[in-house]
Amino acid sequence: MAKQNIKKIEILASINDVKEIVDLVQRKGIIELSDIPDDNLVDKLSTSQSFGFYEKYLNEVKNALKTLDKYCPKSKGLLESIIPQKDNISLAEYLKNADKANAYLGYCYDINAAEKQIEESATSIARCELVLENIEPWLDLDIPMKYSGSKTTSVFIGTLPENYSSETLKTALLPYLGDEDRYECEIISSSGKQTYVFVICHNECKQLVYDALRAIGFAYPSDPTKHPPRVRYERYNKQISDLKDKSDKALETIKDCAKYRRDIEFAYDYFSLYKEKYSAISKLAVTENIFILNGYITEENAKRISDELEKKYTVAINITDPDENEDVPVELKNNSFNGAVEGITNMYSPPGKNDIDPNPVMAFFYYALFGIMLSDAGYGLLMVIGTAIAKSKMKLEGAMKKTVDMYFYCGIATVFWGALFGSWFGDIFEVVAKNFFGVADLGAKINDTLGFTLFRSGIALWFQPVQDPMRLMRYSFLFGIIHLFAGLFASFYKMWKANNKIGAICDVIPVFLLITGICPVGAGILSVNVPSQLKNAGLIMAAAGAVLIVLTAGRDSKNIVGKLGLGLYGLYNTASGWMSDILSYSRLLALGLCTGVIASVVNTMGTIPQNTVAKACLLVPVFIFGHVVNMAINLIGTYVHTNRLQYVEFFSKFYEGGGRSFTPLKTNTKYFNIKED
Amino acid sequence: MNLTMGALLAILGGVIAAIMGGVGSAIGVGTVGQAAAGVVSEDPSKFGKVLILQILPGTQGLYGFLVAFLLLVQIGVMSGEIIGGDTGLTVSQGLMYFAACMPMAVGGLISAMYQGKAAVAGVGIVAKKPEESGKAIIFAAMVETYAVLALLISILSIFSITSIITG
Repeated sequence: MAKQNIKKIEILASINDVKEIVDLVQRKGIIELSDIPDDNLVDKLSTSQSFGFYEKYLNEVKNALKTLDKYCPKSKGLLESIIPQKDNISLAEYLKNADKANAYLGYCYDINAAEKQIEESATSIARCELVLENIEPWLDLDIPMKYSGSKTTSVFIGTLPENYSSETLKTALLPYLGDEDRYECEIISSSGKQTYVFVICHNECKQLVYDALRAIGFAYPSDPTKHPPRVRYERYNKQISDLKDKSDKALETIKDCAKYRRDIEFAYDYFSLYKEKYSAISKLAVTENIFILNGYITEENAKRISDELEKKYTVAINITDPDENEDVPVELKNNSFNGAVEGITNMYSPPGKNDIDPNPVMAFFYYALFGIMLSDAGYGLLMVIGTAIAKSKMKLEGAMKKTVDMYFYCGIATVFWGALFGSWFGDIFEVVAKNFFGVADLGAKINDTLGFTLFRSGIALWFQPVQDPMRLMRYSFLFGIIHLFAGLFASFYKMWKANNKIGAICDVIPVFLLITGICPVGAGILSVNVPSQLKNAGLIMAAAGAVLIVLTAGRDSKNIVGKLGLGLYGLYNTASGWMSDILSYSRLLALGLCTGVIASVVNTMGTIPQNTVAKACLLVPVFIFGHVVNMAINLIGTYVHTNRLQYVEFFSKFYEGGGRSFTPLKTNTKYFNIKED
Repeated sequence: MNLTMGALLAILGGVIAAIMGGVGSAIGVGTVGQAAAGVVSEDPSKFGKVLILQILPGTQGLYGFLVAFLLLVQIGVMSGEIIGGDTGLTVSQGLMYFAACMPMAVGGLISAMYQGKAAVAGVGIVAKKPEESGKAIIFAAMVETYAVLALLISILSIFSITSIITG
């Protein structure tokens, strides 16, 4: 039984031990807490304030780590960047460091303050630079920009649109001022479409000159200086360099703190554990002297934790069976071979209350079908090697370990089928043998050398799908029928165990008879030589099955017409449903061919040149690039279609889903694994 | 080598399968890519999940290519010796090949476009409920069944026609 027996656990203990016991429960990670409703008998602990504090601390730490990643990124290996690795620390070390968590938080405050400083400096610098940009054209002016003249003179300092020199300005003003020399001007600077001018005239013609200037678009600067522009320019330059100093210093602080990265990571784990712990504590109920913890636990863990708690604390522990209509979580326990596909099942839905654990039934088929669809031993070998390296070099846990395991077994299946179908990176061995060693038929040559027929066709141990697609199609249907029958018998087992023996017999046996009976005829249509006696026997069997379906499918109906109607409908449903389900397995052929043919095309393209050296030079890059792309695309396709066959064809035979995964309170850490001594 | 009208029709069939499968996939993958980019702009960590959805409507292009390639192999274009003996392929034989390619051409084009739409909706699932992304993949993959069936009937027809012609 792969579905674990879940019990309800109730722990009562002295309120003084609440923190220690919750700590222990969290470290063990085997109890899923359930909320105890607030009523007249018990109170709830208010933890929202502490929870809020820890959430705030956690955010500080998160931001600090983000800043560290920005300025002093940690160098990671290739594998590590795909699968993050955790360090192990002992419980003693954890507790020792826990006291320092507040100090570690201090580093985070420093880092965040420094980062804030850097950001603010950057904004201020940008603002100052804008001012500098505005003042630059005025730098040659050696009086304040606000200067408007002496007792007898008037001064206009401002900008004119368009590019003027003293002469062209004079010409431009000619229509307004006439020939007379009424003003003196100096072009401070000009840039493309603007001219920065200083114009002086006698007070008497102040208005005249001003109007003339206005007429050609004169404007006062928006932010004139009280001192000569250079003074402001230098002041802002100084400000910028001060800001840069500040920002550099802040960066220095951050870089200094980089050596505390490990501590900060520790603080991250520490505060996230506390956050979770406090949200767990809010589920407890308390009275003046005791607290009550309610939850779900697997049967095998229940005994162990009660022993441990009873030894250490004064507790009362109640272990009971959950009620019939309670929302009990599901915990699965499988060996590595079967457990590896748990992720696939959970993606559909964890097993519901009445379901059996589908993983042991489906694991073997999952790998086998995956292998037929990917069907290239070379790609399979790469998967096996890749996952084996990941398994040996890295600490994998939980879902990640299962995924890696799954691809490992899928890889083995792929190598198996690929060898049967003679596809190793397409036909690379044959292509190389033919193009570089002049061996036209590699398989035949090896057979000759060995003295017996190892390879039946090409280098296939069985047959090459491209040579005989119909054959693979027939086998695809056969594998499909076997897969579906496995599902059918799983449903038999499930109903039988649920004491629905009539259902088990009536819903499974007739379908089995019908489908098995039709098989010889179906095989005949697909041009298999079937003896007519077998065909006839099959037809009798199928007829018996059909009659049984008509008789039993409507057994829930009250009257005879309803029984018959539902029976006929059931027959139609079964026949059409199974037909389309079985046909669906033709995708095994389609995807298998797709991988093999495209892989061969890659090899063919690599050997286009006539010259042997050119061939070799082209083949290597084409081989690497082509097969990487082909493998990636086909891996995704295969994964998707294997899932589809499991979900749509297989699961529909017996699996309902709708369960809820067991989510115990545990030490959900990101950087460290806390190991109990 | 006998380049007859029949050979031309056969090759034309294969080419149309490759073109229409490719066009359908390009449309499908393109539409999903636009939706996927929107999700990634909000949350870059969902890149892997939406990428799988984006690739899904891409298989029709491959299938079309596969049909065209198998056709070229089967009628002997790749080996330089077109089947059909001295007279080469007749017009009716060529039309048979042409017809054999049509399921993949039409099925590929349309299924890729609609698979693209289903995958776009799936991108919405990934955006809102990333833990349910497996279901999004299945919704899109359901459409692909019909491309697979079209591929099968095209391939099987091509193989059987060849065995009829060559005896």
